[in-house]
Amino acid sequence: MSDPTKNPIHPALPELAEKARRGRIGRRDFLRTAALLGASAATAHSLLGVALKPGSAMAAETPKFGGNLRVSMNVMDISDPAIFDWSQKGNQARHIIEPLVQIDKDNIARPHLAEKWEASEDLKTWTFHLRKGVKWSNGDDFGADDVIATFRRWLSPETGSSNIGRFAAMTTTTDTGKKDENGKPIKKTSMSEGALEKIDDHTVRFHLNTPDLSLPESMGDYPALITHRRFVEDGANFIKNPIGTGAFELKEFKVGERMVLTKRKGKYWGGDVYLDQITYIDHGDDPAAQIAAFASDQVDTTYETGVEQVAAIKSLPMLDLYETITAQTGIARFKVTEKPFDDRRVRQAIQACIDHDRLRTLLYGEYGAAAEDHHVSPVHPEYAELPKLKQDYAKAKKLLAEAGHAGGLKVRIDCVASPSWEQNACKAIAEMCRPAGIDIEINVMPGGTYWDRWTTTPFGFTNWTHRPLGVQVYNLAYRSGVPWNESSYSNPEFDSLLDVAGTKIDPEARRADMAKLQKILQDDAVFVQSLWRSVFVAANKRVRGLYAHVALEHHYNKVWLA
Amino acid sequence: MLSFIFRRLALTAATMLAVSLLVFLLLELNPGSVAVKVLGPYSSEEQRQLWLEANGYLNPLWQRYLEWLGRMVTGDFGESIRFKVPVAEVLWPRLWNTAILAFWTFAVLIPLSLTLGVLAGMREGSRLDRAISITSIITTSIPEFASAVFLSAIFVFGLGILPGTSAMSNGFDPLQLILPVMVLVLYDVGYVTRMTRASMAEVMTAPYIRTAVLKGIPFPRVILRHGLRNALIPPFTVIMLQINWLLSGVVVVEFFFAYKGFGALLLEASLNQDIYLIQACAMVAVFVAVTTQTLADIGYTYLNPRIRLQ
Amino acid sequence: MSMTEHAAGHLPPPRLIRILRMVGLLRESPVAMIGAGLIVFWIAVAIFAPLLAPFDPNVNLQPFAKPGTPYAAGSGVFWLGTDHLGRDILSRIIWGSQTVLFYGFVATASAYAVGVAMGLAAGYYRGWIDELLSRLGDIILSFPILVLYVVIIATIGASGINIVLAVTFASAPAIMRIVRSLVLEIRERDYVAAAKMRGENAWYIMLVEILPNVRGPLIVDACLRMGYVTITIGVLGFLGLGLPPPDPDWGGMINEARSMALAFPHMTVLPCIAISSLVLGLNLLADGLREISLRD
Repeated sequence: MSDPTKNPIHPALPELAEKARRGRIGRRDFLRTAALLGASAATAHSLLGVALKPGSAMAAETPKFGGNLRVSMNVMDISDPAIFDWSQKGNQARHIIEPLVQIDKDNIARPHLAEKWEASEDLKTWTFHLRKGVKWSNGDDFGADDVIATFRRWLSPETGSSNIGRFAAMTTTTDTGKKDENGKPIKKTSMSEGALEKIDDHTVRFHLNTPDLSLPESMGDYPALITHRRFVEDGANFIKNPIGTGAFELKEFKVGERMVLTKRKGKYWGGDVYLDQITYIDHGDDPAAQIAAFASDQVDTTYETGVEQVAAIKSLPMLDLYETITAQTGIARFKVTEKPFDDRRVRQAIQACIDHDRLRTLLYGEYGAAAEDHHVSPVHPEYAELPKLKQDYAKAKKLLAEAGHAGGLKVRIDCVASPSWEQNACKAIAEMCRPAGIDIEINVMPGGTYWDRWTTTPFGFTNWTHRPLGVQVYNLAYRSGVPWNESSYSNPEFDSLLDVAGTKIDPEARRADMAKLQKILQDDAVFVQSLWRSVFVAANKRVRGLYAHVALEHHYNKVWLA
Repeated sequence: MLSFIFRRLALTAATMLAVSLLVFLLLELNPGSVAVKVLGPYSSEEQRQLWLEANGYLNPLWQRYLEWLGRMVTGDFGESIRFKVPVAEVLWPRLWNTAILAFWTFAVLIPLSLTLGVLAGMREGSRLDRAISITSIITTSIPEFASAVFLSAIFVFGLGILPGTSAMSNGFDPLQLILPVMVLVLYDVGYVTRMTRASMAEVMTAPYIRTAVLKGIPFPRVILRHGLRNALIPPFTVIMLQINWLLSGVVVVEFFFAYKGFGALLLEASLNQDIYLIQACAMVAVFVAVTTQTLADIGYTYLNPRIRLQ
Repeated sequence: MSMTEHAAGHLPPPRLIRILRMVGLLRESPVAMIGAGLIVFWIAVAIFAPLLAPFDPNVNLQPFAKPGTPYAAGSGVFWLGTDHLGRDILSRIIWGSQTVLFYGFVATASAYAVGVAMGLAAGYYRGWIDELLSRLGDIILSFPILVLYVVIIATIGASGINIVLAVTFASAPAIMRIVRSLVLEIRERDYVAAAKMRGENAWYIMLVEILPNVRGPLIVDACLRMGYVTITIGVLGFLGLGLPPPDPDWGGMINEARSMALAFPHMTVLPCIAISSLVLGLNLLADGLREISLRD
């Protein structure tokens, strides 16, 4: 630990940082204040995601070169980066191949392989300027050809990439003229003509069919890593041909067991990289195994530490715990087209039983942030603060009676068996509804069976992962008719207001619209939200430069071992 | 004897066939849900239809079963949904790891329980016998997951002398085998000891033993020369049958210690709905269990002169 | 003692004698007494749970309290501490005994109902019925048992009923085998032949003549089997395939608390002791009964 007098931190800052972590003040507000109070950007950022022990030193130390970082995480198959469906896969590959835009730990989209970008007024034409001087590990220069080849592959339906939905604004859906066994026409979605334009070797222009203000954020999502232009010709197998622009190279890969990365032999465009090696070790699906591994110093850090292990981690003296509040959440959502949830009063009654702050405390103790049943997180740049919801059993009973359930209501919620916080959330919600006469039976479904019916069940608890922008979530989940609209919520007023919000690229300008959208969802009680989850990452004290990323991404380029 | 062996083998094959039918029906009866499990919950109806057609799922059930059976027998287990590699590639190394675990478990278990069982049984009712019997009952009452928690708390967190996980990520490390073996041995030692004890005690009451003692042969000689041979026949079969038990026991132990074995694989497959992996694991497990049972039967028949000479 | 002597009022009623005789028999084996004592203890805990448990087992009160901490917001003491969701562990163990005993008993009884019926039929009728049932039994028995459970529960989902079904399916064949071999021994006896000559139908003979005479070994097996079933339910709870929330189930409690075991040992050690003591009781009782029956 270093001398605190070297880089004194204004005494008000740690407390403000605490508030920022909880979502009580905005992160941007904190960063601005920290700068005003004389903290460097590095210090301010590390305050937001630093270890939870007060007084730990945050001043700069000189990084040491060398060492092997051992990480406990599932080692999954990464032979085709275009079809990544687990963020662990993104972590495995991101050290080797990189995205155009990277979401930084404060949820802001920053330039990575793309140096800067501009959008036209109507948000339909985006020009991305690529970084110069970047080389692939096989010596080739990185440029527009690689980006265009990669995008073309993503947008082709045969690849089966989720990016075809992510970049839907660049696609066209046509009727193939054939019909399936139910007589419905078979449609085909593919890249629109002229969507990708190469201006020169380091400039690519995207022509969208509809305005999309979240294009940079989408490019920072984990399945959007850029592969070499000859990826397909060379066999389309990333493990056999791990050519990349990143700071590390693939040395060893055994699915389900381990993956070893070594520092790139050539020069890396991003400056100094300190680690010699990263080793991913797969400890199976058992979170307790990670704790045991920490205790016997078999790993330095893990992919994620669940909230129920925080107490155990804090009792191990050699570990630090990093926390970040995210837009990850779990929602107990109703299907608004099915009884009894088609009656808004029933939904509002259930909503009125919840004490959101107590729910947060029950599930996450002193961590996390209370949610407000509208699915926009305090870490979203366009978050609008609404009056807090209060628990009101009298109101709940009245609403129930009005809806015809004066004698009580019995419903069933489907939920996954693991991770356990989801079950615990359902249990806690059920407990809170009991005094109003609402009896919620919890139906636990093992493994993947919940995902067979997450869009059809009348009442289900669904885990939503972090997305950088509030409008992204709304477009994915609450716009009428979209595939992931699990609640079947359909409100034309909401849809048109969302369209309006989607034209405003500045989050400040969007905020007023978001306030209205949030209120609509809240009043319509489409779901009960558990909380805004913090994510935790535990690491041995010897690891420096680490932080908990909002989407659990691994950015190890500046990590070093003391 | 030969005809007996022949009949037992035929019976084994028939059993395996019936088991395969059960496993197939349990997991592949509904093609629609198979498609969802393979392609994931976000796949479109269109993709699922294409996949079902391409993989022969639109054929009649009996045809699907026979084709599946043919593939199983030749060792083509399909591709794992979770790992995205051929099932065989993941299965056999894991099975080998479990075999290593099994080997060391038996290496400790057999000498230990046979010795304890003989000591207890040769003087039935003695203080030693009581002590061994009570300890045996107590250890078999503690489930494996409980003893794993206890031993882990003591040796990993408390004393810090043993590694907490057994992922063997740096190549084979014998230290990482100690805790899993301890848990398995602890649970089963009681049972095998008591079986041996019962068999030994029964043999001790046999007339020819009493005759030997009366003839003046020293007691240890009586045991070693005359008693053990017959006393150890039932334990032999019991031990063979422990392989069946072991295939169950390793599920918990491997899960707990993150040991890359067969049991952990099966559990991971089940929790993640990896159908082909589940099928392959189940079939292999049953095959091993049935084979050892057949060998046990044949061995018991061969060793037991009363039956052999009939 | 014949029925007429009892009816004449010279002696206490036969049923009472039988019970006294059983208790008296038990006294012959201290092992059986201890076992019976443990079991009776847990049955009593289960029956009197509402009176014994100081708190509601599902309500979140005060997370991570150490054993012996008084309840800050009310009256009472957390004698065994609380878990990560603030629930009193003592209350959860007490109420959990109901769950464990209930499902353990129901699952074992169900397995017995099916297994005994199959065993009686196979042993009495022999012929193709015996062949068929035995083959079916062999097939199921060839599965390592946890493999069978994992595959079944992963397919049909976890719930109280499904666990009972899984246990029945997995255990009935073993019971069938035992019953069958016992029936084979007995079916040639005189009283069976007499009943046959009287013209009694097959099921009457099986249930009235044969079954009561094989109950000795069956009772021993039942105790042991209930022990296995208890452990199985615990293991399934531990692996995440067990009974659904929120009701306390000892295996599930251990699993939930496992990663916190080092910081809060009371959360795992106490349910472990609970489950081990119940199974120990069953094992001891079974052992003692076997000793007694051998001595007769």
